[in-house]
Amino acid sequence: MTAPVRPILLNSCALAATAKEARFRIDRPIGSRAALIIALDNAAAAVVDRVAERRWGGARFLHAGDSTEARLAEELADADVAIMIATADADAHLAAAIARACATRGIMTAGLIVGARADVAEAVSALRPYARNLMVTDDEDDVAEVLTALRA
Amino acid sequence: MLKTEVNELLTQTGPETPTGELFRRYWIPALLAEELPENDCPPVRVKILSERLIAFRTSDGEYGLIDEFCAHRGASLWFGRVEQGGLRCAYHGWKYATSGQCLEVPSEPENSNFCSKVMLTAYPLVKVGDLLWTYMGDPAKRPGLPEFEFAQVPPEQTFTSKRWQESNWLQALEGGIDSSHVSWLHSGGLKNDPLFKGTKGNEYNLNDLRPFFEVAEADGGLFVGARRNAEDGKYYWRITPWVMPSFTLVPPRGDHPVHGHFWVPIDDENTWVYTFDYHPTRALTAEERQHMKDGHGVHSRNIPGTYRPEDNKDNDYLMDRDAQKRGETFSGVRGIAQQDASLQESMGPIVDRTKERLVSSDTGIIKARQKLRKAVEALRDQGVTPPGVDTAHHRVRSAAIVLPQEESFIESCADDLTARPGVAHTSV
Repeated sequence: MTAPVRPILLNSCALAATAKEARFRIDRPIGSRAALIIALDNAAAAVVDRVAERRWGGARFLHAGDSTEARLAEELADADVAIMIATADADAHLAAAIARACATRGIMTAGLIVGARADVAEAVSALRPYARNLMVTDDEDDVAEVLTALRA
Repeated sequence: MLKTEVNELLTQTGPETPTGELFRRYWIPALLAEELPENDCPPVRVKILSERLIAFRTSDGEYGLIDEFCAHRGASLWFGRVEQGGLRCAYHGWKYATSGQCLEVPSEPENSNFCSKVMLTAYPLVKVGDLLWTYMGDPAKRPGLPEFEFAQVPPEQTFTSKRWQESNWLQALEGGIDSSHVSWLHSGGLKNDPLFKGTKGNEYNLNDLRPFFEVAEADGGLFVGARRNAEDGKYYWRITPWVMPSFTLVPPRGDHPVHGHFWVPIDDENTWVYTFDYHPTRALTAEERQHMKDGHGVHSRNIPGTYRPEDNKDNDYLMDRDAQKRGETFSGVRGIAQQDASLQESMGPIVDRTKERLVSSDTGIIKARQKLRKAVEALRDQGVTPPGVDTAHHRVRSAAIVLPQEESFIESCADDLTARPGVAHTSV
């Protein structure tokens, strides 16, 4: 049996989607994202340090090599996304440890690998199992671009 | 999230806008070849990149695409008559060649050369495959003709349709790059659509609703890989290419024809979506072709005599809550094309990207926007030719493949992601 046909009213149908009206959508404040940005190797740490100099919302920045498991756990406590930054020297064990910690806490993982594709192939393989979203780029600006897009 | 100025930069494509100038560096589809089916057929109004144009086909079979309005008093040439070698305005008889050159001004003396001083804007119009393509930029910068595989295979192996989408081009394109919505919005189609169903790949799709994504640079744009679990610890990859500015290919399913889209701005609030299916190694069957005409797969069922979908904004896309409840469709809207259009149009004519809440699975969209912005700025500030202009960038393919965990799709699939005449797609 089909549902009874209901009249389509201008103010309650798709026709109400206009450029003028669209300006008033989603007016509740959008909070920043609690992002934890973790450098996986020394070169990535330099990238992260440069990016960290910019102004961010709730983003926090960390060098995995200098951090203890306890510090990582502390930083992850209120994070909702962990973004691992790597270059050719990415450490798969570190990535695995971070991914495990994130999985336990239900935190989304992403990986940004900075470098020429051919140079970072091993790092890509190392991170692939652990980053739900992976981007390889030879443009360091992409790190800030992604963080901005995510409201970090 | 984009700042207001970047959103405006990327969504405005009229003359003298930076992204408009970007589009004007490419050959883009202007209309379907079927719209000008024979010599001396009626002219067709065409609006692209906010310019109103008229397309016609002369007695000699020459295609023309010129300003829609007569230089005399601005009357539309759509009312005109296609005559030997040109298009004559119905108002006072001024006649124009496909080059835009005025050939006759009947009110002037017979030996007057006044008409030689009158010219309308004109763009080349060339048939490649099922499409008539135009190039609206600087003639000195005109690149080689398009070499996309769907337009290069023999006519019996390809089918193209077109639909009007009532939204800005960028939100339509972003739908083509965002493969994470497929397992949700199009889940009904994976099970039921005659141009999708019955493949192993669909099982992987439906069994793993949380794919991993990997975005890789390509010379002409991007490859976006979506990875799902397969058997024996292997991964099922679906790889979507985007070639700048607005060409996307859907990864194949089994031996079904491969689909893709070209998203062409009509103006800043409307888009022509050109949708094609092709098979690189065999003719489309009569049944497949009929399914495409009937609006299955990624095609639309249009109001006869128009390119407006039957399920549209005016009728709430013929929402069927019963079908939604039964699980035949996830959103209640029939057909993959209108499932996409309904949601993308609901976002508003130009979605306000300052209010988005993107997540990391939107990385493909984030990267595509960044790549577009950089190309727009490089062209505007330094005259750099954007990616995708080089015809070598057109020769890409999508792919669906099962790979061992340690293999990278971009390295392992280099051949699979390149158009190879006479070689079948890599598909599962």
